[in-house]
Amino acid sequence: MRQYLADISSSRLRLAGFIVLSLFLSLAILAPLLAPHDPWETGSPYLPPSPEHRLGTNDIGHDILSELIYASRVSLAIGFLAGLISIFIGTTLGLLAGYYRGWIEELVMAISDVVLLVPGLPLMIILAAYLSPSMWNIVLVVGLLWWCSTTRVVHSRVLQLKEMPFVEAARSLGAGDGYIILHHILINCKEIIQAKFALAVASAMLTEASLSFLGLGDPLNISWGEMIHFAFSRGGFANDMWWWYLPPGLMICVSVLGFVMISMEGERTYKTAEI
Amino acid sequence: MSGRKAYILGKLIRYAFTFILILSLNFALPRMMPGDPIVNLLGEEALHNDPRMIELLRAEHGLDKPLHIQFSGYLRSLARMDLGYSIHKNLSVAELMANSLFWTLLLVFPSVVIGSIMALLFGSLAGFKNNSLIDYLLTALALLFYTCPSFLLAMLFLSIFAFHLGLFPLGNLTSGGREGLDYALDVAWHLFLPVAALSLLGASYKFLVVRNSVTQIFDEQFIVAARAKGLTERCILLRHVIRNVLPPFISMVALSFGFMVSGALIVEIVFSLNGMGTLIYDAVVARDYPVMQGCFLVLTVFVMAANFAADMLYAVADPRIGGNDN
Repeated sequence: MRQYLADISSSRLRLAGFIVLSLFLSLAILAPLLAPHDPWETGSPYLPPSPEHRLGTNDIGHDILSELIYASRVSLAIGFLAGLISIFIGTTLGLLAGYYRGWIEELVMAISDVVLLVPGLPLMIILAAYLSPSMWNIVLVVGLLWWCSTTRVVHSRVLQLKEMPFVEAARSLGAGDGYIILHHILINCKEIIQAKFALAVASAMLTEASLSFLGLGDPLNISWGEMIHFAFSRGGFANDMWWWYLPPGLMICVSVLGFVMISMEGERTYKTAEI
Repeated sequence: MSGRKAYILGKLIRYAFTFILILSLNFALPRMMPGDPIVNLLGEEALHNDPRMIELLRAEHGLDKPLHIQFSGYLRSLARMDLGYSIHKNLSVAELMANSLFWTLLLVFPSVVIGSIMALLFGSLAGFKNNSLIDYLLTALALLFYTCPSFLLAMLFLSIFAFHLGLFPLGNLTSGGREGLDYALDVAWHLFLPVAALSLLGASYKFLVVRNSVTQIFDEQFIVAARAKGLTERCILLRHVIRNVLPPFISMVALSFGFMVSGALIVEIVFSLNGMGTLIYDAVVARDYPVMQGCFLVLTVFVMAANFAADMLYAVADPRIGGNDN
């Protein structure tokens, strides 16, 4: 952990991303303490911002600020879980393809070619429309379709690692494939996987926002994307009620930016290390 | 066989394989997803019909027959350009899409071209002037567009430039009642904001990639050699750097077609343009599955065609492919 923190503070960008994400995480965890109102409590609808309701109220009289704070739980959870699924699939396939080569590699690359080629959103729309609208289905749909780039990066890294002397040494000592993959190769892919995970969460959050914007979100667990969906479809946008659609949009932007920032390698430290 | 022919053949096989997989997926989805397959095939509106009618429709779609017969029937109807029937809209899916596809392509193509040119220009500039003020500015801007959800950017553009400043129309494709050049200019005026939003969204990611690869290439030995020869920086950038960035850039642009189509769907909805996005949106609201599936199939075929074209272009841009036959 201390090593990780040292890593993070080595790059200002990463540090900034880390701070942003900690803020969002505390917002999500402390939602009941921070929200001024119960997000499901209905009052008078379409109120403009006032000291009582800092961001006004929506079409059924929910306090928008409280809804916004509670929605951070849903958006972050979906992004995180979908990112986890996609990184797990991507890493496993990348490791297998790079280590075993042969037909496994051909198959994995062919499948990832197909998945990369298919326009993601229309397919996700169909899947999400067939499945019942729930948070978990969105996690599954997004997670199952976002693993390709991870697979490719892990795959090419494994190809490099496999030829390195320490892997050969381990093999000559009689280590099995499973041991080598877990203890030598996976460990050395760690940084790539960490970076790819942050990017996967960022993409998953953006994709979830698009699906929710189309009205395919979970009606019981409102996310930021879904708040914008309601603002758009129930007159908030047409009536220029920016306090309804802009804050959730900015929340998406900033949290995604946080994930992108922690995935960036400290360019300068990296270069000096090489020299 | 010469290198280029082998390359093209390999690509053709790969695309044929992908196409078959997409068809199978489109066939399998309504039949294996939860819910009654007849509803999945016809849309939720089908349930309002009387039960005897539904039984008739079930027989017509061959849902009582074995799967391989259903599949060959599915392929045969596709060969007749029959993509199913939307009970909700009371039109065949192919008819519904005929117009929409044109407008979506009219939105996607200029955006891909403009976005790519912007990414290539600014990306090489930022990579060339690595760690300068202009690099930081451009990168920050690209990150901003990259993290902004497509619908938010579209909504902001619409709100600022059309609603508050009144420079552009609030939506739709034309004002109507015009002909000839006037009509074309009117459409261009209506499409300006959507194309601008989509171009920026598409350019952001490509910019970041181009910038990184240009920065990396500048560290290579052959650039040092070119400098030692006394070439000007301008000449190095144009002749040595861009030349090396181009092939991977083309394949990135090709792969981005899927993303651009997805973005176009969202942008269309915000600007209420009558394209595939609006069609899909209506279909989602009404759970009109045949329309969704038809749109998915057509968009996928389009993205595949664009990728295939780009792969052919790649063979031209990268002299290593098929270089031995001339």
